[in-house]
Amino acid sequence: MTTSTQAGRPGLVLAPFPATTPPAIAAFSPLRERALAARRMVIDMAATPTGCHLGGSLSAMDILIAALDRTATDADSEVVLSKGHAAAGLYAAMYVTGILGEHPVPHYGAPTHHFTGHPGPSVEGVRFPTGSLGHGAPYALGWALSRRLAGTPGLGIAVLGDGELQEGLVWETCQVAAAQRVGNLIVVVDRNGGQNDGLVADISPEPRLAERFDAFGFEVRQVDGHDVDALRDLFEPDRSDRDRPLAIIADTVKGKGLRPVEGKAASHYVSIDARRAAAWKEIVR
Amino acid sequence: MTLPGRTAYRDELTRIAADNPRILCLEADLGGRGHPFATAYPDRFFNVGIAEGTMIDMAAGLAEGGYQPFVSTFAPFAALRAAESLKLALGYLGAGVTVVAPYAGVSGGWFGTTHHCLEDFAVLRAIPGVTVAAPYGEEEMRAVIRRAARTGEPHYIRTGRNAAPVSLPWEGTDPPVVNWDDAGAEAGRTCLVSVGEVGTDLCLAVRRARPALPHAHLCFVDQPHLERAAAELAERFDRFVVVEEHRPAGGVGSALALLLPGREVRSVDAGDRWPVHGGSHEQVLDELGLNEAALWKALAPYEAPPGTPPAAEGGKA
Repeated sequence: MTTSTQAGRPGLVLAPFPATTPPAIAAFSPLRERALAARRMVIDMAATPTGCHLGGSLSAMDILIAALDRTATDADSEVVLSKGHAAAGLYAAMYVTGILGEHPVPHYGAPTHHFTGHPGPSVEGVRFPTGSLGHGAPYALGWALSRRLAGTPGLGIAVLGDGELQEGLVWETCQVAAAQRVGNLIVVVDRNGGQNDGLVADISPEPRLAERFDAFGFEVRQVDGHDVDALRDLFEPDRSDRDRPLAIIADTVKGKGLRPVEGKAASHYVSIDARRAAAWKEIVR
Repeated sequence: MTLPGRTAYRDELTRIAADNPRILCLEADLGGRGHPFATAYPDRFFNVGIAEGTMIDMAAGLAEGGYQPFVSTFAPFAALRAAESLKLALGYLGAGVTVVAPYAGVSGGWFGTTHHCLEDFAVLRAIPGVTVAAPYGEEEMRAVIRRAARTGEPHYIRTGRNAAPVSLPWEGTDPPVVNWDDAGAEAGRTCLVSVGEVGTDLCLAVRRARPALPHAHLCFVDQPHLERAAAELAERFDRFVVVEEHRPAGGVGSALALLLPGREVRSVDAGDRWPVHGGSHEQVLDELGLNEAALWKALAPYEAPPGTPPAAEGGKA
């Protein structure tokens, strides 16, 4: 398991956040290529008249690519983006994965179109309306339980933000999931350290997060949330014989891949013009 | 001898589950011990604990996974604490989840304000796509549960605590949009419109005293059903008194007033005050002014209460 550079920190100290550097010689990875293409699409959505939640879309991208790759070929597994404000990231990830047939960029935020700033089930491949935070986790729990009842090996995967963990519904769900021993539930925390009004560490710190999930009865993995192949491996096993749900604490960088905004709380919501989008798409990685 | 609504629900669901393995039963720690579904189908029964929001979102996931979850908790916790989950799961997603909500209105009596719910119609009627029912008696409750299981559509079903009225008869499978109780009624009279257990009890009591008054009983109170009910009501009468254990805002009376322009619609309801005292269900209703006297008062412009001496010429009725 990859250990995050942010592991072990008490809360999160992200400002200024160091831009990450890719490996000098990176092996070719189809998932990384997919994630890069999706990041470019997110930048294009930031350049639409509405702008988009750029920072959180980019931080969650590798998680989404890895999770959707699992579910794209497994009808018995389901991914729900609980941090629904990262809808641009979800649309892009679904499109490059082949789940979504319609290119989201030309229609994002547009009148008469359903690619809204928070996702709803009228969009192909979107499972649950999210954006009011906390609801994706219990939905995924229900889905996971349905697979267990059906005797099939599917997963319920919920992708949450770390700010979202401030919602009581999340912990209510953890309580129920552990009590019901739903081992095929996976909760992934996109721990990018930011939320709408600033840094999680400044607003409502979340110390000892791994221990919290452990205390709730979860298995816990702490990973580099941008190691898409490692994430993919975590989603691979059949968990139908497990009786403890899995929490993946994925340490990420807000705005990941786009050096001008990486680690900046202000990247939460971004609206740019077409020239800047073109420039950013050249440098994104 | 009839069963209270929540007992009838548990029994009917247990019966249905014998032939439908997709039926699941979820409770949030208020289902009581000895739940018949838990006894009969322990692998399909889930007491999730005190987690109403999670229960309903979770039920949406179960429904998407091919199951038919029936979830139950007290009305204030279902309709208000978990209101957002109802909106997202039952409304926006249209998940085939049925919510059964006992302790509606002030049926909790001495349990106090937190256990009362005079706002659930307003919340649920504002969520399109959810069938909202307030069954009167065991047979209506059983029929509504069967309807929910048969259609797989989102349902919210309110009931009281332990009251066990006898359902009005009807023909057919589902309770009708309007169940007319107007044998012996006279044309041109004011039509009583009853909703729920208390509303229907009061209307039946008044009609026993004054059989000339027609009575229209409504089981379903979501907007599409009320639109159909309003059309049917308007075909027969011009004046209506709607009786319901709910606040005036968002209640059935206010809905019918909008749906019946040009007709006279009065509401007898639980008003705007907060119930703060103990007592039985009936005593709390009295404190809120929802009782037979209130219904007669609403009828006063058209009907003298029983025992009232004839008004002197030129006097007030």
